[in-house]
Amino acid sequence: MYNHDGHDLFVIDGHMHFWDANPENWRNKYGESWIKCFYAYHSSLSPADAVWSFDKFCRYGEEALVDDLFRSGYVDMGILNSTYLHEFYKNGFNSHAQNNVVKAKYPDRFLLCGSFDPREEEAGVDPFRRMVAEYPISGLKLYTAEWRNGSRGWRLNDPWAYKYLSLAQELGIKNVHVHKGPTVYPLSADAFDVHDVDYAATDFPELSFIVEHVGLPRLDDFCWIAAQESNVYAGLSVAMAFVHLRPRYFAEIMANLLFWLGPDKLCFGSDYAIWSPKWLIEKFMAFELPEDLKQEYHVDLTFDIKRKILGENTARLYGIDIPAQTAKLSQDGIGLAR
Amino acid sequence: MRDNVPCELPAGYDGTAILDRLAQVLDPELDESILDLGFVRSLQLRSGHASVALRLPTSWCAVNFAYLMAEDIRRELLMVEGVRRVTIRLGDHCAAEEIEAAVNDGRPFSEAFPGEGAGSLAALRLTFLRKGFLGRQQRLLRELREAGCSPAVICALRLGEVSVQDDTILIRQPGCAPVKGGAAEILQRYLERLAELGLDCSLAAPLIVDLEGEALSVERLLVHYETARTIRVAMEANGSFCRALLSLHRLDAAGPSGHANTGGKDVQS
Repeated sequence: MYNHDGHDLFVIDGHMHFWDANPENWRNKYGESWIKCFYAYHSSLSPADAVWSFDKFCRYGEEALVDDLFRSGYVDMGILNSTYLHEFYKNGFNSHAQNNVVKAKYPDRFLLCGSFDPREEEAGVDPFRRMVAEYPISGLKLYTAEWRNGSRGWRLNDPWAYKYLSLAQELGIKNVHVHKGPTVYPLSADAFDVHDVDYAATDFPELSFIVEHVGLPRLDDFCWIAAQESNVYAGLSVAMAFVHLRPRYFAEIMANLLFWLGPDKLCFGSDYAIWSPKWLIEKFMAFELPEDLKQEYHVDLTFDIKRKILGENTARLYGIDIPAQTAKLSQDGIGLAR
Repeated sequence: MRDNVPCELPAGYDGTAILDRLAQVLDPELDESILDLGFVRSLQLRSGHASVALRLPTSWCAVNFAYLMAEDIRRELLMVEGVRRVTIRLGDHCAAEEIEAAVNDGRPFSEAFPGEGAGSLAALRLTFLRKGFLGRQQRLLRELREAGCSPAVICALRLGEVSVQDDTILIRQPGCAPVKGGAAEILQRYLERLAELGLDCSLAAPLIVDLEGEALSVERLLVHYETARTIRVAMEANGSFCRALLSLHRLDAAGPSGHANTGGKDVQS
């Protein structure tokens, strides 16, 4: 909960991780390159006092996560964006099973994403059903650039991806987070192209697609699609991080998103542990859209809009009743200790 | 930036021509000169053999774009009098060996990286030339608007009616008082790209055109402007990452005492 002049803002971190990138878990040099690439993003865009050691960054553990999100980071709930990367990490980077360890301890604090890989075709269908039956899965996180047996990625409109999306819908899943963001070595940049979202969003109007990292650097392509498709949302992680070192640039991104998508489709995310919600939220709340951009784009980033972005929009997507959830959270281990 | 590039040139050799050529090479995704971006670490010329060492922001910068830049450097430098051979080094880039081996030998990307990336490199280059065109045009439109030109005036402008005076854009339309305003560089960058894309650059041609070279109606201008504006911001996204990451790279090179964020100055905007 973030308090601003006596007003409470309910915060949902729409994109966070509980990863294990310890060297013992690296399968090969790619496991190492991957986390080093993340670390470069972390250390180049975080404020100096929020930069961690590389060792801590590899495996920060449950206590740090709970502190950084819920105790000092203003976050009420976090969405665990499971990311598997089995070709780089022996036990996976942060699979739903790993993530569920922390979810099980604080069940009301987390929403858990599962996933599918359409390249598994028929063989993946039963495991997918089992995952949804055995774990408290409330959304999906799809990583179209993931490597698999020599393939460097897949597209949301591949025939098998459609079969899995139908199945997910049948099993009651409504929200699909899709990673479309900056190149991460060693993944192929082409697999981050955003156009496949357009097809899937049109063909699955009942599902909501949250495009993580707003397609950056393909913000333009993302905006055209999101402006056309009512069920495409902007996941702001990565874009948020610019609020500190490049506030003018952050302002331009926000002005464009507000212009094309409006204030009801933008969802906060930190991408923890790449960046920490505490400083992201403090700087975001202190941030004001410059006057020239307000005039040029005819948009604003008011207190009410910030409140939507930080929690209300995502709460609506996941059917969370904010007053009821607030009451519930005040009674869990974290809430009671406040 | 170009003054900061360490150059080792033969005695009495004027390096201006080489640096001018290097300044022409752009990061295609950013539409900015590699010299201004600080990507050139050093330059050497010995008995007609030019060696350029690059320092890209990260070791994982997209391979196809790294290849494009290396290839462009080679082509530009081979046009300089007295340069007969060019060698490019990519430092610790993840695909340095493959790119260097192919580019220094004049071999195409598809041969060096079979199966990497969809579509040809030429198509990729064209996509970014076109995006860059819209980005440059949007900056020009903003300057013209700031100078007080109405949409109707902007749509009616001909190439022959705009010129440059004292680093400022000068607009003379028949029957109207001359209007002055906007940085000349913004006009020049736009006109360069207009020519590069093979669009009509004759004096009677319309100044503001779409990607097909069609003049815009007043009705279309607003939507066109809003689109171009977003494309410009999108292109700057990678520039923002690159600058942040490049500052980290420099500090790494400076030694262990340099903290990652103390060098945040040159990424501040």
